[in-house]
Amino acid sequence: METVAVKVEELAVNYGSFVAVENLSFNVKEGEIYGLLGPNGAGKTTTIKVLVGILEPRAGKVEVYGTPVSDEVPAKSQVGYVPEEVILLDSLTPREFFEFVTSIRRLKKENVNPKLERFTSAFELKQYFDTPIAALSMGNKQKVAIIAALLHDPKLLILDEPLVGLDARSSKILKELITFHAKKGGAVIFSTHIMEVAEKLCTRVGIINKGKIVEEGTVEDLRKLVRSAEGSLEDIFLKVTEQEAGMQDVIKALEEE
Amino acid sequence: MKFSELWRLSSTVYKEVSFQSIFSLRAGSSLPGSAKRDIKRLVANAKINTLISKLITTIFIGIFAGIIFLPLTMNITGHTMPRQTIILAGVSAFLAVVLFLIVFMGLQVSTSFVSSKIVDVLTPLPLSKQDVSRIVFLCFIRIFDIPLIAAPAIFLAVYVLIGGPAIGAITSLLGIITAEIFALTLTTILARFFYLKVTRAGGRSKWQTLLRFAFMLVWILPTFAAYFVVNFAPQIVQSFASLTQGFSSFSQILVLIYPFSFGFLASSSAFPGQTDYTLLGLSITASVAYAILAYYCVGWVTQTIRKLGISAMGSGPREMVMDTFIQPQTPWLGIIRKDLRVASRAPSYATLFFLPVIQTAVLAVSFSSFSALDLTTALGILTGMSMITLLLPPTLSSIEGLASAYMRHLPMRKITFISAKTLLSIFTYVLSLIVLSIVAFSMGKSSTLILAYGAVHGFSVAAAVMLELTIVTRKFWKEGFAVGNLYSRLTTYILIVIPGYVLAAIPIISAFLALLFAPSYVLPLFLAAALTEFTLMTLVIMHQK
Repeated sequence: METVAVKVEELAVNYGSFVAVENLSFNVKEGEIYGLLGPNGAGKTTTIKVLVGILEPRAGKVEVYGTPVSDEVPAKSQVGYVPEEVILLDSLTPREFFEFVTSIRRLKKENVNPKLERFTSAFELKQYFDTPIAALSMGNKQKVAIIAALLHDPKLLILDEPLVGLDARSSKILKELITFHAKKGGAVIFSTHIMEVAEKLCTRVGIINKGKIVEEGTVEDLRKLVRSAEGSLEDIFLKVTEQEAGMQDVIKALEEE
Repeated sequence: MKFSELWRLSSTVYKEVSFQSIFSLRAGSSLPGSAKRDIKRLVANAKINTLISKLITTIFIGIFAGIIFLPLTMNITGHTMPRQTIILAGVSAFLAVVLFLIVFMGLQVSTSFVSSKIVDVLTPLPLSKQDVSRIVFLCFIRIFDIPLIAAPAIFLAVYVLIGGPAIGAITSLLGIITAEIFALTLTTILARFFYLKVTRAGGRSKWQTLLRFAFMLVWILPTFAAYFVVNFAPQIVQSFASLTQGFSSFSQILVLIYPFSFGFLASSSAFPGQTDYTLLGLSITASVAYAILAYYCVGWVTQTIRKLGISAMGSGPREMVMDTFIQPQTPWLGIIRKDLRVASRAPSYATLFFLPVIQTAVLAVSFSSFSALDLTTALGILTGMSMITLLLPPTLSSIEGLASAYMRHLPMRKITFISAKTLLSIFTYVLSLIVLSIVAFSMGKSSTLILAYGAVHGFSVAAAVMLELTIVTRKFWKEGFAVGNLYSRLTTYILIVIPGYVLAAIPIISAFLALLFAPSYVLPLFLAAALTEFTLMTLVIMHQK
């Protein structure tokens, strides 16, 4: 029987009176790469922030490997997270930052150092290891966040737009790492706007619109659903998020300028 | 572009700098949930914070002007000095203080000015490089606008009040404007230096860390010197006066040195009949040279500020990275190490660690007025010391807000957080106690009472710190420790600190009461109160998840 890595049931999140997510449910199983897709402001990042314990939901049940996210420390210990907006402790160097994160996660130096050596070489970060994060480029900051998310061998990886700012090499390495993580039996929740990436990488996708999952399944399932056998994930996405209608008119109007 | 248009644009940029000084630099660009709902209030609070900073500098300048000129003129201090010397010493001291206070204020705000990267936003707009430089310069001026205008206004008001001659006022005004330009230049030099050597300086070697702390100390000490300036204003003027009295060959060198050249010029123009013409010639030459230098400084500051605004300084020198070895610690030690590292690169946090120690040293200076350190004095000093230490915990918590969103996903326990911050706070308390004892010892006073009662009171202070941190975590654990949360409402901060003060005061009050009614029970009562508080608060935090 496949283990459920993430269980989200009837999740609801508000920002004051604004309803960001309502009645949202989905499951992610072990070994799966689950793509969370949706237009800007659809509720992807909000959902992810609930999963990693940054936001508290108004209602609903959220579990990570059977642990409710309200049980903060055990739930957070199983997750590796790369935020959409990478704001780390800018005054620290990557070395100091990793020391802090690994201390909080109670990692042993014997286990963590070989991994760190491998990751920094793979992502070509070694030369910036003693440079304050504030002085790093956006892409290098992203690499620091990615490495910090991987050091404790999390069962669940939650990556919010992780490819933004990465160069082609690092992007390729990260995609390989994600695939390898899933093959090893880990689970991945992956949010992106790049449909080609989601199409190639994700085992299943959930499309969120206006705070609700509007469609869910493999890319094949979704193709069947929208009766578009040749359609790309982008076409499917536009169809199910009701963004396709009127789009030609908008493009025409822009071109007339 | 017209000046009015540039001024208007600089106002928009300035609003952003004030806002960023709270919410980007300190809150990690992550606004708390509640802040999103009430953004206008937070923007207004950011403006109020910067206004308060300007007003404090202005008040200091005002107090200094009042303290130096009025008592000396009215002979309140008991010293009789010729009016010529009073004007010479007074003007020179005032110029030095204006320079110092504006630089001091600049040091506090320039880091947020640098980190806001305002030029990055302006450059893509259809503005010439010159206009961008001018806007950034005007924005920089706006940071200091009230003190810059107030310094000459205050001086003139006091000068008129003491009946100083008009010609002296004009010369002094020229001196004040030069002092202000020099202050802006010095601020820019220090900001640039700080940015390269501290904020952007990486490295792993202990030598570099030590160097960074040394730079930080240089950065912070003026903060405390500001209080000395106001407290010892009459003495400062007296020393300026004693330097300028007697026209010897030393005076010929002195009038060439800023700010004495302007002081002498002001004094000579006010009392032309009593002037030494060689000295007058030298002071005119020196003053003109300083005025020309100030003119060039304006150009340099305009250019450099623009570079600072785009962070075009690059990083400090990089060490060759030999390995990627890291040394994870226990979580509480990890937090302490991280806090100290952050503080070694951020003046606002470093100041916090030094504040109790330096403030205690200031308090200790008062020892000279006591014949012996009795229990009442010792308890009084311990009260002051603990009150300053208890300002630390809420701000230490706000370090977690630097990357609020990221930090909240880490599996950190409340008990770990509270323990780490308590240990850090108590470390500064113990350091203050050591400084206090050393000063007492050096003044030939017995420090036994201070050490004994201070050590016992440490338990009460630790309990008070734990109480403050428990309130902080209850309030902000879910929302995050963004400073936007802590400082946007002063009442929030006060409501955290007051319970801590009350707890720390209980053993002190008990001791005073025992001193009145049962003197032999002072120490047992003091000890019992402190230990009870500590035990209770330890039990409370042990039950935190």
